[in-house]
Amino acid sequence: MFTRIDRYRHLIPKSYKAGMLIDGLVFADEHLLPQIEADQTKEQVANVATLPGLVGRSLAMPDAHQGYGFCIGGVAAADLDEGVVSAGGVGFDINCGVRLLSVPAAAGDVADRIEPLIHQLFRDIPCGTGRKGALSLGGRELDGVLCDGAEWAISRGYGTEDDLTRIEEHGRLGSADAAAVSNRAKERGHVQLGTLGSGNHFLEIQRVDEVYDERVAGVFGLRQGQLMILIHSGSRGLGHQVCTDYLDVMHDGMKRYRMSVVDRQLACVPVGSPEGERYLKAMAAAANFAFANRQMMTHWTREAVQRVLGIDGVRVVYDICHNIAKREAHAVGGRRTTLLVHRKGATRAFPPGHPELPADLKDVGQPVLIPGSMGTSSYVLVGTELAMQETFGSCCHGAGRAMSRTQAKRETSADALMRDMKGMGIHVRCGSRAGLTEEKPDAYKDVSRVVDVVHNAGLARKVARLVPLAVMKG
Amino acid sequence: MKRRGYEILEHPADLGISARGESLQEAFEEAAKGLTAIILDPATIRPQTALPVSITASDREQLLVRWLSEVLYLFDGKRFPCAEFTIHELGPTWLVATVRGEDLDASRHHTRLDVKAVTYHQLDIQEFAGQSRVRVFLDI
Repeated sequence: MFTRIDRYRHLIPKSYKAGMLIDGLVFADEHLLPQIEADQTKEQVANVATLPGLVGRSLAMPDAHQGYGFCIGGVAAADLDEGVVSAGGVGFDINCGVRLLSVPAAAGDVADRIEPLIHQLFRDIPCGTGRKGALSLGGRELDGVLCDGAEWAISRGYGTEDDLTRIEEHGRLGSADAAAVSNRAKERGHVQLGTLGSGNHFLEIQRVDEVYDERVAGVFGLRQGQLMILIHSGSRGLGHQVCTDYLDVMHDGMKRYRMSVVDRQLACVPVGSPEGERYLKAMAAAANFAFANRQMMTHWTREAVQRVLGIDGVRVVYDICHNIAKREAHAVGGRRTTLLVHRKGATRAFPPGHPELPADLKDVGQPVLIPGSMGTSSYVLVGTELAMQETFGSCCHGAGRAMSRTQAKRETSADALMRDMKGMGIHVRCGSRAGLTEEKPDAYKDVSRVVDVVHNAGLARKVARLVPLAVMKG
Repeated sequence: MKRRGYEILEHPADLGISARGESLQEAFEEAAKGLTAIILDPATIRPQTALPVSITASDREQLLVRWLSEVLYLFDGKRFPCAEFTIHELGPTWLVATVRGEDLDASRHHTRLDVKAVTYHQLDIQEFAGQSRVRVFLDI
């Protein structure tokens, strides 16, 4: 059972399961905890705690649900000398993430243009599954994407240098090495750059519905009633194949290092091992692919906004990674040390003053973007010092799934869902009708409750709430 | 119940396949059919081009994951959806097969779901005389 620390913190002590080396900690309230207990999340948090060389606690955010090996919504930090890196601890969709754009217009002033705008975006951004993107890259060009991320996209005319300061890691992980990415991964990726993807990926036109913190919202560039666009996408087939490749590399490597894990999806190797180093280079390359992907979609979004609304000046509010492992400086036991922080379905949430933040955000902290499920609110929060102390500067990433895809499809038809969304005044464009019902709003946890838990627990503070006006899904 | 076939399984976030056959070969073939059916409508795929496939692995579980990952790669990387799967030889760590399909034609092949990957989560292989069964979960 959980040991309750306070209303929002629930400990899984080391004694819970044989082999646990550290405690687990789940952030949830009395409503979300039973949902987390209903699947294998707790066991997965405990399983992660059996991996060697982890520091602090094995963490689960309030949106956590059962994943593969690691839960979705999990955070685990490894010591660089004693600890391990796990491809499963990052997940298949490397640098799946969200990017929020602000349009310099009040949503109310362009209400009659929202529907044409979502149609234009649907035409301009290839979204569906198995489709080619707008461009097909040669090998050398793809290597440029993998090494330079969003910088590559900007060098090819997709956006401006100003965009980079508002992207986690400035849109480029410098440790990337295209040679660590298999040809197979590159083949899966080379026609998919600049595509949204399907599943839970989406693009949403939104309005700022409520501002909780005027000062921070002002610094982020958010105003009550403002028109916003949120893009949720990742590294597509390239990242998925990198994870597939390195799960096997790590599985075979474990024999060499005489390691074993309780679940094969937790396959891991020492951080500094040749296999570990090579994975991190490939993962960084896949992350850069995702940064470039979101940058290109930003460019096409700007073009669509210009064409339909006649408005320029769409700005990047922020772009954050959901699935990533990164070397970061943290204080452990009063000592500064560098750790490898795995975030799987979790976001970075750095506080005011953090050296990684750009000058204009240093006084307030990092924007934390938390998209809701289709048709529900999304939130912008800001990072806190407490998150640095408790969660390695991490926060939740979304609503978190509560219902299986098959159950969602059984309970709702695409027609009924489209009708419901229309009734709420939300325009929907989708590539796959079956895929649409699988993403219906109540297939997810209540995002407002998830956000209240991180806000009340002090991991991040609410800045603004955004409501959807139109949705585009793969 | 037919002696060979597949069912789609539920998972909180994703999907799985339970496949069976009179032999392990058949169960592996059925699992590939299940994967294809999750991605798109198999009835739209003409099995007009044959491709040889041979796979090696360090154990049987990895062999199943690599076999299905191959089918996924042919679709996603080679843009070649497959409808028919014939495994000629299946050892503990290798298999030799022929798959049949055609080049992707966006006007006829409408993708249902992007499958990201084949996982080891609750992967299960049971081989008995006259009835074999495999279970595998996919990341969607």
